[in-house]
Amino acid sequence: MPIVLIRIDERLIHGQVVIGWANQLRPDRYVVVDDDLAKSRWEQDLYRLGAGGVEANFVPSAEAPSRLAEWRDAPERTILLTRDVGTMRRLAEGGGLAGEAVVVGGVHHGPGRREALTYVHLTEHEMQDLESIAAGGSDVYSRDLPDAPRVDLDVLKRRWKSSS
Amino acid sequence: MTERLSRTALTSAFLRSFLIQGSWNYRTMLGGGFAFAMLPALRRIFTDSAAMDASLQRHLEHFNAHPYLCNVALGAAVKLESEGADAETVRRFKLAVRGPLGSLGDGLVWATWLPGVSLLALTLYWIGLPGWVAVIAFLFVYNVGHVGLRLWAFRVGLADGREVGGRLARADLGGWTSKLQVVASLLLGALVGAMLVGADGLAAAGPVWVALAAIACLAGLFVGHRAWRPAAVTVVVAVAGLSALGLFL
Repeated sequence: MPIVLIRIDERLIHGQVVIGWANQLRPDRYVVVDDDLAKSRWEQDLYRLGAGGVEANFVPSAEAPSRLAEWRDAPERTILLTRDVGTMRRLAEGGGLAGEAVVVGGVHHGPGRREALTYVHLTEHEMQDLESIAAGGSDVYSRDLPDAPRVDLDVLKRRWKSSS
Repeated sequence: MTERLSRTALTSAFLRSFLIQGSWNYRTMLGGGFAFAMLPALRRIFTDSAAMDASLQRHLEHFNAHPYLCNVALGAAVKLESEGADAETVRRFKLAVRGPLGSLGDGLVWATWLPGVSLLALTLYWIGLPGWVAVIAFLFVYNVGHVGLRLWAFRVGLADGREVGGRLARADLGGWTSKLQVVASLLLGALVGAMLVGADGLAAAGPVWVALAAIACLAGLFVGHRAWRPAAVTVVVAVAGLSALGLFL
């Protein structure tokens, strides 16, 4: 199990991931799939500071799907992060994430987004993207910290629909 | 770059940073304090008051970091604004820097410097110095580190702007935290020794206290932080009970 966590989280490498998840999962590296960050050295330097000495790679979304197999087969334990739902959907296209769990972490309130959980806010489009990731054979659910209970996609969708 | 900003404006921004938690709230956290500290610099950077208002609005938004180390972000934001950086760059910089500044600051200050200097002051007291000496030593040593860290952070941010990540990595705050923790452990050992054999120490307090201390120590060792609430309750009850016993006997 070389990819130990696949997570959507706006804050990327931050306290909840580095303390909460990494203390349990003991990753050897973070892979952040993000087109803006892959081009921005100064931002990479800042996010690396928060990684607690663990290696951090920043990969453009066009390159990431072809490297999934490499990360799965490597001995290093990888935590894979994207900042948004759309990037994760592109990664899942063609069954790239079939059989994997995709955890929806923090997506905060923004224009056009409705609350599904206190830490998950989604637009119409993002909700469709999550469903298409699930249709591709991934187990999609929400969980902020490893000890918190999981919230399944259908529960997420019901809460999202009923919130204004 | 920041030459356009007078020394007075920078000093004013630095002094205002001491109040950065002054309007702390769950929604924007340090946002209000950050905007307040930015204001003297923004007033000089923007000649157009509508542009200044827009910038101030953006700095009022949610921001969080360690209250001392956030001066890195403050200095860098002053530099970025004075160089005419676009709003998106400033936003992305603050987004990326808040996490590391929070975790590095928590480790260095709350988990190491504060308990370390407290141990120093307690040790001074238990080796026989008057209480007021220990108090003054604590306030002096703690604040030399505190104000020094704020000043260093502000200058580093001001000098390197958004490129500050490389400089912070080289400064190795995590390494300094580990070194200080070694010194703090040493002080803890000295303090325990002083508390055991000092004039009012545990050895003179009688076997009941020695036994209680040993139990507390073992409980702390095995159940650690998970048990701090029950442990605190037990200690309070035990101290109150024994004091009451002492009054009656």
